[in-house]
Amino acid sequence: MTLLLAVISVILGTLLGLIPAFMRLSSKKVLKFIGSSYVEIIRGTPLLVQVLLIYSLIKMKVILFAGVDLSSFIPGMLALLINSSAYVSEVIRGGIISVDKGQKEAGLSLGLTEKTVMRKIILPQAIKNIVPALGNEFVTMIKETSIFMYLGIAELMYSALMIRSETYSVKETYIVVAVMYFLLTYPTSKWMSSIERRLKVSESK
Amino acid sequence: MNQNKTIEVKEVTKQFKDGTKALDNCSVLFECEKVTVIIGPSGSGKSTLLRTLNLLEIPSSGDILFEGISILNVKSDLRIHRELTGMVFQNFNLFPHLTVIDNINLAQMSVKNKTRIEATDTSQSLLSQVGLLHKQNNYPNQLSGGEKQRIAIVRALALNPKVMLFDEPTSALDPEMIKEVLNVMKSLAKSGMTMIVVTHEMDFARKFADQVIVMDKGQVIEQGYPETIFNHPSHPRTIQFLDSVLNK
Repeated sequence: MTLLLAVISVILGTLLGLIPAFMRLSSKKVLKFIGSSYVEIIRGTPLLVQVLLIYSLIKMKVILFAGVDLSSFIPGMLALLINSSAYVSEVIRGGIISVDKGQKEAGLSLGLTEKTVMRKIILPQAIKNIVPALGNEFVTMIKETSIFMYLGIAELMYSALMIRSETYSVKETYIVVAVMYFLLTYPTSKWMSSIERRLKVSESK
Repeated sequence: MNQNKTIEVKEVTKQFKDGTKALDNCSVLFECEKVTVIIGPSGSGKSTLLRTLNLLEIPSSGDILFEGISILNVKSDLRIHRELTGMVFQNFNLFPHLTVIDNINLAQMSVKNKTRIEATDTSQSLLSQVGLLHKQNNYPNQLSGGEKQRIAIVRALALNPKVMLFDEPTSALDPEMIKEVLNVMKSLAKSGMTMIVVTHEMDFARKFADQVIVMDKGQVIEQGYPETIFNHPSHPRTIQFLDSVLNK
């Protein structure tokens, strides 16, 4: 459950994060303002508050699907998604602005459109900077899913709570939980650094 | 003079957001099929002038007539105009994620709608002209500065531009590599290409320029044949500048 939540929120969050990222990079002031406000508001409020707020805003009837209560899963997912989109958008924006300005100028001077410059010149270079940070975000997301226990979603932390109240072994439960989170995050970081290495190889080939 | 054979900069002012005026009511006439070299102290607006010519900088006021037609009025033609003006940068600006051949092919395929085969054909023949055909499958970071700059020149030439703009093309190079880049520029000059060159290579200016332009504080302070400018400069700032450059 924990992993599923993290995977969905990072993938969809990345897609959603593209929107504010490009808004902030736009030369139009209105778009820039909307993009920045979105990012700043979401980064400036705790995830827990966002989750509870969205949960209370979307009051759904209890729908059970494959053993999951969608009425808490969907708002929770939505909150996590919005949250990760804001962070991811900053990662994407950072990756794009880290590409040397001369690259864009060279592309434009060749008569390429802004769109082609972005797609064929800037983004391929930006991805090398984005992927490592995105991996970081993924690991963070795995850990932050623990917040869902407040909604009663059966993720890792929630399960821990159940076990704790049954067995009364507080320390042991939390140690096991910590180990389990680590078992999820460690392979993820390893996997991410292997992708990073492969990207580096493709450049210096 | 036939207006169809000139690029005319009319009273162009470029003021940046921070308030500095890089160009201050600057007017100048470039002749086609000639080599014009722009010299002047740093910060005099040489590069800005060059960059306005392919609209990497949009002038705050004034007009630029390319073969008699304003390039500022028609916004949609901006890209077509850039296609006609090749630009070579001080820092090469090759695309590091693409091989040499792809660097040269990209714009041909994207802008000129050539097929990969057609583009590669053009690229390869240009590469062999600058003696770098054997590097076609290398990545830019495997090349020396001189090789990079020669490829940057080829990349611009591949679009068959009417004008080539050079923004201090040899300033980032080691002395022994300057020569190989200058040689490419010299043969380009001989082929009758319209060239506008910002450079500190006074030797190149002296031998290959048809016209030398001296800039200071965002304005053209003197222009003429290289012999006149170098041997009998009239403006006190020109005298002072040449003195400091030539007698180091």
